[in-house]
Amino acid sequence: MYEGLFLIDNAHASMEWDTVVKHIHDVLQKNGAEILKTEKWGEKKLAYKIKGHKRGTYLLIHFNAKNTAVATIKRDFQLSDYIVRSLVVKDDKIEELSQIGVTESAGDKDVGKTPEPGIEGVAVPVETNVSVKVAEEG
Amino acid sequence: MTKKRFNKTSKCRFCRMGIDEVDYKDIQNLQKLTTTQGKLFSRKRSGNCAHHQHSVKASIKRARFMALLPYVT
Repeated sequence: MYEGLFLIDNAHASMEWDTVVKHIHDVLQKNGAEILKTEKWGEKKLAYKIKGHKRGTYLLIHFNAKNTAVATIKRDFQLSDYIVRSLVVKDDKIEELSQIGVTESAGDKDVGKTPEPGIEGVAVPVETNVSVKVAEEG
Repeated sequence: MTKKRFNKTSKCRFCRMGIDEVDYKDIQNLQKLTTTQGKLFSRKRSGNCAHHQHSVKASIKRARFMALLPYVT
C-alpha cells in the first residue's frame, strides 16, 4: 500500500483540474497500480516558495502497486509538467483507512448501500424492503 | 519498603493518545513540536518516547519537503 501526495501547479489546477487528475491516474495505471482513494485538499499557501510558486493545490492518492513499479512511478511524476513536487510513502496501515474511504465514496454514488455503522440500523431495513418489493414485482 | 510511583501515565503525548506512527499530514500536531523558527524540539523538551521522537522527526522532514511546514522562518 502506498500513499502519494502531489503538489500541483495552481495555474493548471484551477483551469484543467480533471485533466490533471486523469494524467496522474493514467501514470499510475500505466505502471500497473490500483487506485484506492483520491482526495483533493484544495488550494493552500506553501511554507516556502517552490520554483516561484507561492500557492499550490494538493492531491492525495492511496494506491496499491508492486514494489518494482514504484521507482518508475516516482520518475514519471518528476518528469510531469503539472506536478511541482510529489512524495510517495509506503504505509501498510492505509488499508483499513482507505477501505473506509472507498466505501464512503461508493456510498455517495448509490445511496442504498451505505455501510456506515451509525446508519446501518436504519439503512438495512430499507434495503430489505426494496429487495422484497422487487421480488414481489418480479 | 519501595517508593510509590506517582507518575503512572506516560509522558509521551502519542503514547497517551494511542497513536502508533505519527502522520506527516497532521500539521497541527507537528507544529506543536517545533519552535517558532521551525526547528525540532528535543526529546527532553517534547517529552516523547524514543519510538515516537523518531517518528516525529521523519514526519516533520516529510512535511517540510512538501512545503506543509517551513524549513526556516
